[in-house]
Amino acid sequence: MSLIAEAIRVRYGGREVLQGVDLAAEAGHVTAIVGPNGSGKSTLLGALTATLPHEGRVRLNGRDIAGMKPWELAAERAVLPQASRLAFPFRVLEVVRLGQQAGTAGDRPDVPLQALARVGLAHHADRTFQDLSGGEAQRVMLARVLAQVWAPVEEGRPRWLLLDEPVSSLDIAHQLQVMEIARRFARAGGGVIAVMHDLNLTALFADRVAVLAEGRLLATGTPRTVLTDTILSRAYGCALRVSAPPPEDVPYILPHAASA
Amino acid sequence: MIARLLSALLAAGCTAASAEPAPEADVLSIGGSVTEIVAALGQGHRLRARDSTSTWPPEVADLPDVGYMRALSPEGVLSVGPDLILSEDGAGPPEALDVIRAADVAFVTVPDAVTTDGILRKIEIVGAALGVPDRAAALSDAVATDLADAMADAARPDAQRKRVLFVLSTQGGRITASGTGTAADALIRMAGATNAVTEFEGYKQISDEAVGRAAPDVILMMDRGGDHGAADDELFAMPAIRLTPAAADRASVRLDGLLMLGFGPRTAEAVRRLNAALYDEGA
Amino acid sequence: MAALTDVQAPPRDRLSRARALHWALAAALVLASAASLEVGATDVRLSALLAKLVQGEALGQMERIVLLDIRLPRLAMGLLVGAALAVSGAVMQGLFRNPLADPGIVGVGAGAGLGAILAIVLGGLLPVWARDLAGNQLVPVAAFLGGWGSTLLLYRVATRGGRTSVATMLLAGIALGALAGALSGILVYIADDQQLRDLTFWGLGSLAGASWAKVAAAGPMIALALGAAVLLGRALNGLALGEATAAHIGIDVQRMKAVAILAVAGATGAAVAVSGGIGFVGIVVPHLLRLASGPDHRTLLPNAALLGATLLILADVIARVVIAPAELPIGIVTAILGAPVFLWILLRRRGLVDG
Repeated sequence: MSLIAEAIRVRYGGREVLQGVDLAAEAGHVTAIVGPNGSGKSTLLGALTATLPHEGRVRLNGRDIAGMKPWELAAERAVLPQASRLAFPFRVLEVVRLGQQAGTAGDRPDVPLQALARVGLAHHADRTFQDLSGGEAQRVMLARVLAQVWAPVEEGRPRWLLLDEPVSSLDIAHQLQVMEIARRFARAGGGVIAVMHDLNLTALFADRVAVLAEGRLLATGTPRTVLTDTILSRAYGCALRVSAPPPEDVPYILPHAASA
Repeated sequence: MIARLLSALLAAGCTAASAEPAPEADVLSIGGSVTEIVAALGQGHRLRARDSTSTWPPEVADLPDVGYMRALSPEGVLSVGPDLILSEDGAGPPEALDVIRAADVAFVTVPDAVTTDGILRKIEIVGAALGVPDRAAALSDAVATDLADAMADAARPDAQRKRVLFVLSTQGGRITASGTGTAADALIRMAGATNAVTEFEGYKQISDEAVGRAAPDVILMMDRGGDHGAADDELFAMPAIRLTPAAADRASVRLDGLLMLGFGPRTAEAVRRLNAALYDEGA
Repeated sequence: MAALTDVQAPPRDRLSRARALHWALAAALVLASAASLEVGATDVRLSALLAKLVQGEALGQMERIVLLDIRLPRLAMGLLVGAALAVSGAVMQGLFRNPLADPGIVGVGAGAGLGAILAIVLGGLLPVWARDLAGNQLVPVAAFLGGWGSTLLLYRVATRGGRTSVATMLLAGIALGALAGALSGILVYIADDQQLRDLTFWGLGSLAGASWAKVAAAGPMIALALGAAVLLGRALNGLALGEATAAHIGIDVQRMKAVAILAVAGATGAAVAVSGGIGFVGIVVPHLLRLASGPDHRTLLPNAALLGATLLILADVIARVVIAPAELPIGIVTAILGAPVFLWILLRRRGLVDG
């Protein structure tokens, strides 16, 4: 089962922000979308989630999302936006329940608290959402998303997590916590697509990486094949050197090691 | 002149009094002029309640007030228990009147008037509704004579007539004045003067320049109590009015609104008082 | 006190508290209704009449008229109008994600006002058959058409390619309000003294013109609109997260907007048409309820209907008793009671507004 996008084009006011992007993400993998600012990462996620009007086709678990109702989509995939403003003083647990009710685990009373526990915020269940810090709010939203697709696989069909910069407001410990949650969801059979800013975290957690630049797909593959000096320097328009120290055998990026 | 009116009333009272049983208070009177007519017919004792525009004679102030005549409360009206409602034209809302009629309360509408004939017609209708046509006829005669005398005294050649601007309100520095076809216009003409504004009908806001062009000799307003000197300072300081002949002479007249605009039994008095205020020395 | 229990209570309790509140408000509505039938300018008393009926005595004509033709339609109208205004306010606040929104935003007020002014000032110019057809109901009919029509117009303006932009609707609403205000100004200029007085009283609102005919005309429209609005609870909860996220959790955002806007236009248009301008119910009632039992629209909307009806019925009792046999316009009562409460809420809970 997979999430496949074909020839995605999106226009904003006459400018073509995405110029025919193909993407194939497999359930069981964490697929990261990286690229410089304005390369179209979030726009691509918007097309994948049926939020933005676009040309091209997106198939989720074999079905064209254009023909699916909002509630049908909500049962198959959950979406974490970059930033969330909540209009009324809902409590943290009530926010998580909003996600839970959209999914197929809507009747299990234990799910919201478990989801909060997973992001380490069960003790804040009764607090008003607006009283949380930015990082806490982002993790509550992740809990809401998790509660919506609580079982990574249901009736043999994978559920999907679509995350737009899920660690943007977080400190390093919580960045690792959140990425670990995403990885576990994928290992359990679910699909994860994450727009990422941090190339190191991408290298650590992604199974597949898609590099966007100027509205086109520049490269796609495993972190090892994609996160290279040539590709990244071309994508980001500056000299970057990728290093892989022997003990971990995982690539990491040192901007300060770039030759001037 | 007042004495003449009173004697006419007394005469009417004497002829009719013996024939009538003494009725109880059973009338709700709506509209200032209607209430005045009821009282002038010697039937003031039959008033059980009034509306908020009924302020004359002073005794009626003690009666229950059913509120503004165009926003009546049906239960409020029924609660004063009238057998007869006498109302100027325009009482409402219509739903309230429907309910009141359904409760078998006689409801008599008295049409508005801005002429002598209109006043006499009001008296006739009220007198008939109250079952005192003889008194009404006597009052009618007295009022007609009195008004004719007052207007004859007030009349003067066009060239000597002062131009009068009736100002309804100066709210927010904007002047609402009377054009033609209003009670104010009628009274100004009856009192031997000229309405300074004839370009429009009814009461309307009027621009500063239009006030200047109207060039009133006198500003006529409703008397709302308070210090007239201070009110005049404010009035004649208004840009619109500062340039008029009226401002140069500080010529203003204030009369009670109901007396002036009610067109009831006291209109002759209003004519005389306005005429005196306009033309007598020292006014 | 409330804050302490909030923290200690398990989270499920806010929902059950809202449900308990539901029954308390229903009881309050019954009591307010009884008071509204018991008290009035006349000394007709519901309790006395019931005693009479129990003893098998017939009611007098006066008692029947006061109870059945004056107080009962008035109670029914207060109930309908109060529920309509409060629920419309709550729906608008949810739709615009702003606790200060009210139905005025979608142009109902401006349009209804223009319709009413047109009817009051120019009604006399209509051909006789049209006046006969409308009868006493010319002003309410015109107000309803004006309110409903302007909302439909705004909805059309703000909808492009099947999507309605609430921001566009807000801005277009301001423009439409200014236009309606200007047209009303022209009409006010040509209005005569009596018509101006009528306009003022219409703007202050009143249930004094209540009649079974008005209840029959406004009732089904308000009931239908409120029925639709109350079903929006879950969708409005989702919308609190923003339009995109609401769609992601399975809500048909466009359909919800259409239902919400049409329901509010219908309910408010009908309410304003039969009762004139009654302020503050639509803002104060949802605020009080959010303070008492949280922002969950699934309980907020039905509770707003109950509390709005209760408060308006009580305000009407006050309006007709304080200066009896005359009565105050009810808009004055709701503003005098509502404005201080509103200020108090703002001072105590700034966070509610600033988010």
